[in-house]
Amino acid sequence: MRSLERLTLAHLWTGFVAFAIACLLGVWQMWVRSPLTAPLSTPDRYYQSVTAHGVSMAYLLTTFFVMGFGYYVAETSLARPLPGKRWAWIAYGLGLTGGLIAAIPILLNQATVLYTFYPPLTGSALFYLGLVLVVVASWIWCAQMLVAMAQWKRSHPGQAVPLAMFGTTANAVMWLWTTVGVAVEVLFLILPAAVGLTETIDVGLSRTLFSWTLHAIVYFWLIPAYIAFYTMAPEEAGGRLYSDTMGRLTFVLFLVYSLPVGMHHLFMDPEHSTGFKFLQMTLTVLVAVPTFLTVFTISASMEIAGRLRGGKGLFGWIATLPWERPMVLATGLAFFMLWFGGGGGLINMSFGMNAMVHNTSWVTAHFHLIFGGTVVIMYFAIAYTIWPKLTGWQSPNISLQRLQIWLWAIGMMVMTLPWHWTGLQGQWRRIAAFDYSNPLIASWGPWVIVSLIGGIILAVSALLFVWNLVTLHRSSSPRFAVGEVPYAEAVHPPGRLPASLNGFGLWNVIVAVLMLLAYGYPIAQFFIDPPPQAVVHRLH
Amino acid sequence: MAEHPPSDQTPAGAPAEQAAVDRHWRRLALAAVGVAVAVGGLLGFVIIPAGQREHSHLSMDAAMRRAAGLEAGSPAHPQPPAAINSLPVSQVSWDPAIMQRPAAGNTARGAELAGQVCAACHGETGLSVTSAIPSLAGQTSYAIYKQLHDFRTGARVQPDMTAVAQSLAVGDLASIAAYYAAASQQYAALGMRDLSGETEIVRVAWEGDTRRRIPACMSCHTNGVGGPIETPALLGQNREYMAAQLNAYASGARKNDVYGRMRDISRRLTPHEREQLARYFQGTL
Repeated sequence: MRSLERLTLAHLWTGFVAFAIACLLGVWQMWVRSPLTAPLSTPDRYYQSVTAHGVSMAYLLTTFFVMGFGYYVAETSLARPLPGKRWAWIAYGLGLTGGLIAAIPILLNQATVLYTFYPPLTGSALFYLGLVLVVVASWIWCAQMLVAMAQWKRSHPGQAVPLAMFGTTANAVMWLWTTVGVAVEVLFLILPAAVGLTETIDVGLSRTLFSWTLHAIVYFWLIPAYIAFYTMAPEEAGGRLYSDTMGRLTFVLFLVYSLPVGMHHLFMDPEHSTGFKFLQMTLTVLVAVPTFLTVFTISASMEIAGRLRGGKGLFGWIATLPWERPMVLATGLAFFMLWFGGGGGLINMSFGMNAMVHNTSWVTAHFHLIFGGTVVIMYFAIAYTIWPKLTGWQSPNISLQRLQIWLWAIGMMVMTLPWHWTGLQGQWRRIAAFDYSNPLIASWGPWVIVSLIGGIILAVSALLFVWNLVTLHRSSSPRFAVGEVPYAEAVHPPGRLPASLNGFGLWNVIVAVLMLLAYGYPIAQFFIDPPPQAVVHRLH
Repeated sequence: MAEHPPSDQTPAGAPAEQAAVDRHWRRLALAAVGVAVAVGGLLGFVIIPAGQREHSHLSMDAAMRRAAGLEAGSPAHPQPPAAINSLPVSQVSWDPAIMQRPAAGNTARGAELAGQVCAACHGETGLSVTSAIPSLAGQTSYAIYKQLHDFRTGARVQPDMTAVAQSLAVGDLASIAAYYAAASQQYAALGMRDLSGETEIVRVAWEGDTRRRIPACMSCHTNGVGGPIETPALLGQNREYMAAQLNAYASGARKNDVYGRMRDISRRLTPHEREQLARYFQGTL
């Protein structure tokens, strides 16, 4: 096995192990929330489990997946060895060590602060230090992606950077911007409080800094899915990418409009004025643009594939698509679920409507649907596509892969739709137990049980996913060529490309200006007129 | 991998023509982002304040300053102060300076004072001599300090304790609190008691009774669970003392509980439940 394959597999397996554990915890949590009596249920353990679930899903699965997939894309799409592979292994070691260090206080119930921290609660300093190591590992990855793209551009003057790598580097650039907020929060506010250097903490400032990170991090998770939409799905469907330029625009728009928008998580917070909330809301709306660009472009690419396979008429091409291939199937299901998740998101980001759903389980349902229904389902499809190229073994049974993806999509819909509904009924989020003897709350009970059933389907799917990957390591079917590259060609391969669609200089300037406008005064106000601080509440 | 056209047709290498394309795209991008920011800014800082102005009886200037966060507050009409003057129930408010006091208490000084003043009733290690007198073992220094301070200010009244607390300086109260909190750390057995009680009582203790709006005792009365930090631990406390306190809260004779939480809860408990809870939490060794 070549070193790239080892590197990619190490990252992806680490992420997926964290994912499988988190799925099982998730089912138990849904069980605790339901009217059925769950084993081992105490409020303490519930929040501990929520913390472990959130950290595993949001920080470990995603970071390791993005890094591993990024290395794979860098080497295969640029068709040259990854620069500084030793650094990649150092980053892996740092990230893994950080994840394990963070796990210790979580298991000891000394960091039950959920993955979003919620100061003035503080957990053990080890928890934050571990997560800092994971982020530092991802920074090394970012540097490698930037170097890989720069070196390629130097040796290919005037040529368009392959779209998969352009998207990956856009993600690296965005991630560097994104992590500034949480890094400042943890290093200057939370860690001093956790180790006892300070007795009070500015909750408003902490929340503001976390909001800086909190929306863009979602796009950090999502961009690999979009890379798969643009480069892998059209190829697997047997067609071509309808427009390479649309892909570049999409990645650039994600970079620009994922950052100065985080305040939409703080619409109900008192520390900011309505003007800045509206400004950031307006910028949030623009995230819909790359989403619609993508829906259009990928639908068009699929239509090309469908017609090449003999599809006729207005919709006939849909039936002729090779739905038996996991990548095509996952893309279709992801688009279907994106419709619901995106619609819910539009409600959340509207200042007025947000007031209705804020702090209800509607929001929890929304982010599970987007994360599971669009991000993770595409992680599955990417894994199924590249795993045979990494191990050299073909899947003995592709129908199990299809079954797994179907179970995931069905489970996700069964779990999240009733969850949205109970949220609209007023069901609170971040609650360890509900008093089902109250008639109002009792009426939610059946829906929560339906959600639990969805959760069980998801857990079965997650375990089947791990099993499917294992079979790709020990298959008895014939080996096939390693290293064959799965990226689609565009109908019109990029020729004359403006520099702004082949690099990030202009966009970094725009992001800097937008961040200054959107977050400059809202952060400065904490220093101009310092608000009262909260007494630190240590849980360790 | 996609095949790339020869470099003479492509971007950043070809200066003359390419520069024009680049410029065009740069302008386009800046204009698009500029329009987005302008629309958002107009909406947030001008149009919305213009709408709010009328209903809130504000000048346009004030409304815009509020929208920008330069002027405080949404209540355009200040809320009237509470109609009734509440009695100060306790003068201990936990800001960092006050939290320092029990933490900074001198345990050597505390041991000396405890030996002279407290131990006769509360014992050397905080185990009291009769069931009517509370044990201090297992309590945090915050819990002990809060009660001593309340006796001193008159927020809580008990003839013996009022006299003792008023004869001591605040620093001494903190030292005594620190001493007993430390002494009881060596004496950890209070947490090891066996608890048994009727199902209904155990339920009130651990889960509360939401239909009567009685929260679970243990949602606050366990050290470190997130309730107010002065909350005393209940496990192993003397039955007679605890029952007397619940009854005093219920009758309103004792009122040094901030926001009247315990008065509220105690009134909802039946006299029988108060007695049973006291018996349950005392437990058996």
